[in-house]
Amino acid sequence: MTNLDYFMAAYIFVWVGVFIYLLKLQRDQNRLRKELKSLKRIMAKGRDENKKI
Amino acid sequence: MQRDSLEKILIGLTFLSMMIALYAIFIYAPLEATMGLIQKIWYFHLAAAWIAFLAYFHVFLAGILYLWKRERRFDILGRSSAEIGILFNTLVLITGSIWAKPVWGTWWTWDPRLSTTLILWILYIAYLMIRTSSEDDSKGARLAAVFGIVAFIDVPIVYMSIRWWRTIHPVIFKLKGTEVNPAMIITLLISLAAFTLFYFCLLHQRISLEKIKDELELIEDKLMEVKRK
Repeated sequence: MTNLDYFMAAYIFVWVGVFIYLLKLQRDQNRLRKELKSLKRIMAKGRDENKKI
Repeated sequence: MQRDSLEKILIGLTFLSMMIALYAIFIYAPLEATMGLIQKIWYFHLAAAWIAFLAYFHVFLAGILYLWKRERRFDILGRSSAEIGILFNTLVLITGSIWAKPVWGTWWTWDPRLSTTLILWILYIAYLMIRTSSEDDSKGARLAAVFGIVAFIDVPIVYMSIRWWRTIHPVIFKLKGTEVNPAMIITLLISLAAFTLFYFCLLHQRISLEKIKDELELIEDKLMEVKRK
């Protein structure tokens, strides 16, 4: 391996590491959004049922 | 100024500083005479180490504040900082290892600096394990806060390890100053600034995520209560 290979390896590791973490944050955010959506649906449903009563 | 616009400014500044840092690392900074290109790993390695230390300092601070005020936001700060600290600590260990192979001829050696950094990494993984494994949330937060305060003792030990013990790790900043080329120091400072801004971006995102989680839990609890009635 040349010095350039080592340098590129370190550089790639840094950005891949950061990218994976950002992906994890994004995935968590999407999961929470889905949860929020389903909760809103449940609440809306409950409100509609209350109106009927 | 609104929170959203502050966030956008922070992201914009981070992006700009990252671009400047990349320019400085690849074009502005001169090649080191002995190591050549491999020395440029230094700009990422040192910046990542600085971020790990800063994040762990926040865990330490958040631990003290949590034990004193018992407010959830300090628990969130500690947990979020620890997670980011571990990420950058991992990058320090990996980039250091990649630098060591061509320079020292080995990926790893039980040098005091390397060993104490590995211990630091293990300590904060333990911190996250303590924080997440406890069934009683407030007990877990309390335990993690205490652990976060105690674990921080290793940070000054890591920093001083190359000064206290015999080591093959280079000492860049000495009491008399530094012998490094000024252009390299300027590049390093730009890199440190860019990574610091990036850390605050990540921290902000991570804290927001935790706050949304709390809000969701609150709504879920309320819904359960309504259902029970």
